[in-house]
Order: sequence, then structure tokens, then C-alpha cells
Amino acid sequence: MTTRVLYVLAIVFGLHLCCAAKTVEERFYEQLVLKPNHDGTVTSSFSFTTLIKDGRPRDPRTLGKEDESQHYTLFPLALGQILRDNAITELHLSLNAGKWDYLNWGYPEEDGVGTGAELWAWMAEGGPVTVDERWGNLRNALAGLFCASLGSLDEQRTTSPALTFQPEGDLPAFSSSHQLRHATLPSEHVCTENLTPFLKLLPCKSLSGIASLLNPHRLFDADWHGMGVHVRFLDHAGIEVRLSFQAVHNPVRYASDNRRDWSLRSLFDHTIEQSCPVASSSQIRVDLPRSTAAIITEPEPTARDDAVAVYDVRQLNGSLNVAMRWPDETSFEYPLGASSSPLAHMTVRRTLKGSDQYKGHLSVVITNHLMSELQTSYLETMPWLLQFYLHSLRVEHDGVSRDDLVSIVSYTPPVPHARPALLQTLLTLPPNSTLRLTMDVVKPFLRYTEHPPDAQRGWDLPPAVLMPLARDASAGGRVRRVYTPVLLVDLATPDFSMPYNVIIMSCTLIALIFGSVFNLLTRKFVAVSLRPPPPAQRVEHM
Amino acid sequence: MKRPAVWLLSFLFFALSCSSSLAQDVAQQDVVRGFFDAQGGAVSSHTNNWAVLVCASRYWFNYRHMANALGMYRTVKRLGIPDSNIILMLADDAACNSRNKFPGCVYANAGRQLDLYGDNIEVDYRGYEVTVENFLRVLTGRMDPSVPRSKRLLTDDKSNIFVYMTGHGGNEFLKFQDNEEISAFDIADAFEQMWQKKRYHEIFFMVDTCQANTMYTKFYSPNILATGSSELRENSYSYENDNDIGVAVIDSYTHHILNFMEGIDKTSQKSIQDLFDTYSYEKIQSHPGVRSDLFRRPLRQTLVTDFFGGVAQAEVLPSLPEVIQRSSDAADTANSVPGAHIIPPVSAYRANDTYTYQATPAKGVDVAVVFARSATPGQSRALITFRAWASIVLTGSLVTWASRTRVK
Repeated sequence: MTTRVLYVLAIVFGLHLCCAAKTVEERFYEQLVLKPNHDGTVTSSFSFTTLIKDGRPRDPRTLGKEDESQHYTLFPLALGQILRDNAITELHLSLNAGKWDYLNWGYPEEDGVGTGAELWAWMAEGGPVTVDERWGNLRNALAGLFCASLGSLDEQRTTSPALTFQPEGDLPAFSSSHQLRHATLPSEHVCTENLTPFLKLLPCKSLSGIASLLNPHRLFDADWHGMGVHVRFLDHAGIEVRLSFQAVHNPVRYASDNRRDWSLRSLFDHTIEQSCPVASSSQIRVDLPRSTAAIITEPEPTARDDAVAVYDVRQLNGSLNVAMRWPDETSFEYPLGASSSPLAHMTVRRTLKGSDQYKGHLSVVITNHLMSELQTSYLETMPWLLQFYLHSLRVEHDGVSRDDLVSIVSYTPPVPHARPALLQTLLTLPPNSTLRLTMDVVKPFLRYTEHPPDAQRGWDLPPAVLMPLARDASAGGRVRRVYTPVLLVDLATPDFSMPYNVIIMSCTLIALIFGSVFNLLTRKFVAVSLRPPPPAQRVEHM
Repeated sequence: MKRPAVWLLSFLFFALSCSSSLAQDVAQQDVVRGFFDAQGGAVSSHTNNWAVLVCASRYWFNYRHMANALGMYRTVKRLGIPDSNIILMLADDAACNSRNKFPGCVYANAGRQLDLYGDNIEVDYRGYEVTVENFLRVLTGRMDPSVPRSKRLLTDDKSNIFVYMTGHGGNEFLKFQDNEEISAFDIADAFEQMWQKKRYHEIFFMVDTCQANTMYTKFYSPNILATGSSELRENSYSYENDNDIGVAVIDSYTHHILNFMEGIDKTSQKSIQDLFDTYSYEKIQSHPGVRSDLFRRPLRQTLVTDFFGGVAQAEVLPSLPEVIQRSSDAADTANSVPGAHIIPPVSAYRANDTYTYQATPAKGVDVAVVFARSATPGQSRALITFRAWASIVLTGSLVTWASRTRVK
């Protein structure tokens, strides 16, 4: 009897093993990079990477047919379904708030730091559903998933700037070519309702591991914060989803004694109590500042060298609270002078000038900090709310007009009420100097119903994106994108009570005119005698 | 040869117990139904709860309207309605507003004891998306096919919906974002459309705005209970200020409702009438109104949790012969069968059986849909028993055969 039972058990177990071997292999990595900046702030960059080994994006030509089944253990299913349903090869979504300070904070870990929402995706052509339809579905699906107004990233905001937004992964060799769709919504807010669904995509949610530090009350109090979702396909590895969260904290603002000492508890109001058991790697890297005498206190890092200290969260016993102190400093003094070595290759200032409600000037001032000439691309994806007079584009260097330093790669003019403008140019920045671009712009008139509810506030315009073509060794040989701050344009607004005024005024006039004409036409004018009737008649009447 | 005999015996025992449980099934159903019908049919027969919470005001100084809607959000979520069944519309971002000294927090009282925003919140429509058009689309379900499920009101004729609106309003209108208005007629027509499309079972409509009671005067669809914060030509006031936030944090009427709700839990037997009985001018500083002429159940027997809680009622499905019996009764008396749908137990479905749809005309708008099988009740009972036995014998013989052949 027992042998039989054992035999049956063995068969069942064997079957189970067979099935298990067939399922996809998934990996989950998490990392937190903490970097103290010289202006007293601390940049924290969370990244949660899930990899489906040997996964491949869906070919859009199979969209009408039954899809292969999706059984994920670590990979976020809610996101996976959106990717499969719309046959997305590569996807990048970022939701940021604040203005990234390249000069003080250096380059971010994740490039996409433009204020508001930015979404771009690479999709293969072909199949029963067009790229634009899939782009629309993708926007709506992500809007539902992340509680953001991404549904309003419509044709009026969608462009295809393939020069700047090159795929970060590989494109699979389908028979059809790939297309890019890119849209921004600079007025989008980021708050807890965006972080909630973000955390639900993680295998350990915010319960354990590094993600337990993601406390909305502290993150949304940071000087800068932003979250991102990045999906890419790597030919040799598979499909990778990277969820990222970056924040720039200001410990000096919290400290009562004006010191810049920080710890995980002071930054996030949490410590790491336990590690995420499904993470293949889980580490905290702390960049050690070279110039100042900072020391890392409390737990001893797992590994360290001169530049970086690494904590392995998986080897955690007890709670982990990484802390950094500046023991020689009594209070932090903000560095007033220019920093000795700029942290970015270049700085960009973009302003919209002119108080006119019809015309204006767009001015872009780019300073090259390098001692060598720098080539950079310059991209404007401008909604038709601001229209360029491209012939008036002037480039000035040291007070001398140098139109030879700019070359226009492509320009798609805007169509009012329908399509944004797309301007892609290449700039040559002379060494250690400043280049000024100016261009006349015109502000269109909007239809009455096109104004937002708070029309007097103006419209947020998306950031320009520059891409220095010098390959950066610290970025692993890739090129970085640099975002300018957003602009606010004040368009002519009507008096919104005007329709009511018009209605009331015209109604009154019509009533007056009609009434008097009607009176004149229908009333009979007769002479009335005012003499009283004779007294006898009066008595009779009574 | 002894071992197979043991196997067979154990299977016989198993089969016997199965058949007895089959017979008990019908009696069991009657007991369960009797339990749920104990309160004389006053128990709501809804099976799911939904909430639509709208804050229609923009700008920081309307903080209190955000807090009103979020207070209701917290309450319905606490009482068991999941995020997937809540449509929350917030016209502005108060929690992460740059004027908010407490980022990620919205408080509804001056002491700031309770953070309504919390760590876990899903706002379905926010900012510029909160428009009259989107609100009416949510109610009526007329949407673009690509709109995700989280932004839809996926209700059916068994759904109880709680609709809460707050903002600035006037006589028969409510302003959305200081830009457009929704009128009492719009909402009344949307509800009628919902009723015709069988998108609700009962609606509890609550509105907190100036002259709020005028908002529900135009309703004409059945099963709607409505309440508002103030009469015609009467203002609805805020309750208190917080000096650190710098603006009023909640409205008086909503504060009163939320105070009452704090004493309610999922198992509470408090009725809607108990809530209405607490209304007083002294507490609210306005005259709240109630409209119950469209509502069919007595308010004393309508639980607060019928609308605020996710406490689903069990729908006891009658077995097949009973359905036929009932349908003939219904045809005689032309009365509506309790519960809008009566569906035969799932186990009785078979692809090759034929079903006929018989719609009994009922009073009001209720239509009872009854499935009747072509087979007579006696035959079907015998058939079910025979199938059960046959499958047991088949499984038993298969296992016996497998154990004899595979294991030597």
C-alpha cells in the first residue's frame, strides 16, 4: 500500500517539476543610490528592475489572434497586460515635480527629469491595429493604471522626435519597422495617488526591502521628486521593467541646528526592517563626498572604497538605518561661489519674453562648461499654443551673429487646434562660452471652449530637450538627455461672462424692440373724453 | 485480491455520503433563504456597492471641498467598498499643492488628527478631467472603448450606488471648477438613463453645497433616496479653520455626516432614518433636506451600510423546480418576484439542454426573468441523481483500474 502511495506521489511531483521548468524565469533586483550634494541636499534614486528571461515583445501582426498566456510571479501583471495588448516594444513614462538643478545636483540617474508627465514608446508597425490607435489605447490604459491624466496626451501633444529619443534597448527583428510616439503634459501633478499604484507593481509592495522607504509624506515634501516606468527589450536578456523613483531631499530644512547630517530615518521617516525575499540583489550604494570630511556612522557597510559604500540589504539582521555625519561642521553653510568644477557639461536657460498677448521672443542661453567644442542636439516639441517664426532664428556668440553654429535637422510646423510643432536642430557650442538663440514666436487665439478652467493662470509649455553628443564615461558610454525647465505662456483670455452678457443684452434689445413694435401695431389709439358722465346715469349704475 | 475490495468499499462509503448530501441540498437552500428573508423583505437585495464621490471645486481656498470628498472616500473604504468600486473625482490637488504645509496630507479637522489622504489612495479623475461631461459619462457609461475599468462605473441592476457631490452651487445647479455648471435636470436625466439601462438598484444621492436641496428636486426615476445640506436661498457653511493650513478644512454638513459615520461599522444595524434624525439646525447651521418619495423601502429598515458599506447580500438562488412553480405564481398574481433575477443553480446548466426565457410582466419597471427547462421536475431530479451515481462509479472504476495495472 505504502509503495503505491509513494509511487503516485512521485508521479505527481514529477509532473509538477515538469510544469515548473516550463514557466518563464524572472529576476528582481532593487537598488538605492544615495548621493549627498554640495548644496546640502541628498539625492536618492530608487530602482526596481524585473527581468523576464528570454521574453520577447509581441509582434503587432498577432494582435487579432489569441495571445500566449501570461503567468508572472514577479513581473507586474497589470503592466504586462498593457504591454502585450498594445504590442509595445519599449515604453518610458515619467511623472516629475520640480526643477532639476543640473549645476548643483549633477546628472540624474534616470534621464527623464522634465517637469510633469512624459510618455514615449517605440512600437512596431503592421497588424490589424494602427500605431496611433495603439498609442491612444496605451495612454488611456496607463492613465487608469497610474491615476494620471495621461488620457489627455492626444494628437495635439504627440510628436515623433526620433533623433533625441532613441530606443534604450534593442528593437526585435520584426518584418516591419518601429515607430516612436512621444508626448508631454507639463502641468501634471504628482502625488500619493500615483505612488500607490506604483508600489502595487512591486513584488514586495512597500512592505519590505528598499521599497519600504517609499513614504509618500516625505517623498512629496522633497525639493524635487519624480517616478518613472521604463520597459525595454534586450536581445540577449529579455524584457526588462525598471520602476524608478528619484527625490532630492533637503536635510538642512528639517534640521533644527542647521546641519546637513542625514540618515534613512531622517530622510524617509522609516528604516529597513526586513529584506525583500524574492530580490536577487538588493543593495544601497552611498556616494562618499570627496572634498568634505563626511563619515558614515552606524552599521558597517558590506563593501566600501574611496568613492562608494555598499550595503547588502539581503544580509540584514535587525533594522538598517544608513547615516552620514559631518562631525567637523557646526552648521551647514550654503556654497555661494561657483562650484570649482561644474557637474554638468552645460547649462541651459530658456525664457519667453515679451508682455504682448500676440507676439513674443523665445530665448535660449546655453553655456558650455567644457574646454572643448561640444555638439548638442536641441529639440522643441511645442504645442500649437506657441508658434515659431523659424526665419527669425538667430544665434549669437560673444555678441557676434553666428548662424553657422546651428543646423536644422527637421521642422514640422504646427497645425492650430490639431498638431504640435516639432523642431530638431543641431548646435555647435564653442569651448567655455555662451551661445544665445532667439526666435520670434506668436501666440494664437484660442476658441472659447479650448481654455482650461483656470485660464488666467496660463499654459504650461513642455521642456526643451538637449542631448550633448559627447559620450560620457560616467554614464557608461551612453548619451544623456538634458531637460530645460518648463515655460508658462499667457494667452489672450476672453471675458468668460461675455456670452451671458451678449445673451442678456440681445434679449433685452429684442424684447424692447419687439414690444414697442407689437404695441404700435396692435394697439388702437382713440381719443378718450375725460368729462364725467351726467349724475343721473351714475345713480342708475349703482 | 483483497486490496481492491478495500478500495471499492471506501468508494461505496464516499458515494453514499455524496448522495445524501445531494438530497439535503434543497432543504439547506430553504433554510438559508428563510434566514435572509427574516426581516420581511426589507433587506436590500443588492449584491454590490459602488460610490461616486465628486469634489467639483478647484483652487486652494476650496480645500474643504477636497476634504469633504476625501472624508467620504475614507468612510466608504473603511466600511468595505474597494477602490475598484469607488470613482473619486478631485478637481484639484490639495495634498501635493505647493501651498500645503503638510505634503501628501489632507486633514478634515482643526487639530489635524486624521490624515484623509493616507498612504493608499486612488484618484480616478483629477484636475482638468473633472468636468460635467466626464461625470455624466461615468454615470451613464457612455465611454470610449479604451477607457480603463478603473475609470468606469461598472454597475448592474443589483448595484447600490452612493453619489456624493460637493462644491459651490446655487438654485438647481452645481459649479464644476468655476467654469461650467451641472443642473439638477442633467443629473435627473442621467439617473433616468441609468435606470432604463439597468445600471442601478438603488441610489443614495447626497450633496453638500449652497441651496443643495434644489439639486434633487428634479429627480423622477424610482429607487432614489436623496439628501442635501441646505434649503433654497440658504447657504451651506464651512465648519472650522486650521491655522497652520490657513483655510477652512471641512464643511459643516459633511462634518456632521462623517461624525455620525464614525460610529458605524460593517455590522451596524443603524438605519438611514437614524442618520436623518440627527439633522438639526443647531449643529449644521442650515436646514438639510431629505427626499424619499421615489424610494420604495421604509427608511427605518434601510441600513446605512446598504449604501456606505461593501456588505453584499447573499443572493439565494432557488433550485429548478421551484423556479417553475414561482413563475406560474407570478403570472397569476402579476406581482414581481422578490429579487430581480432568478437564475437556476449553475450545476443544472448543460450545453445540450434547452432553456426558454419567460418574461413575466410585473408591476412597476421590474421584470423578472425566469429560466424554465423543457424537462419536467421529476425527470430532472432522477437525471441528476443518475448522473451523480454514474460519475462516481466511473471515477471509482478508473482509479481501481489504474492502481491494478500501473503498480505491480
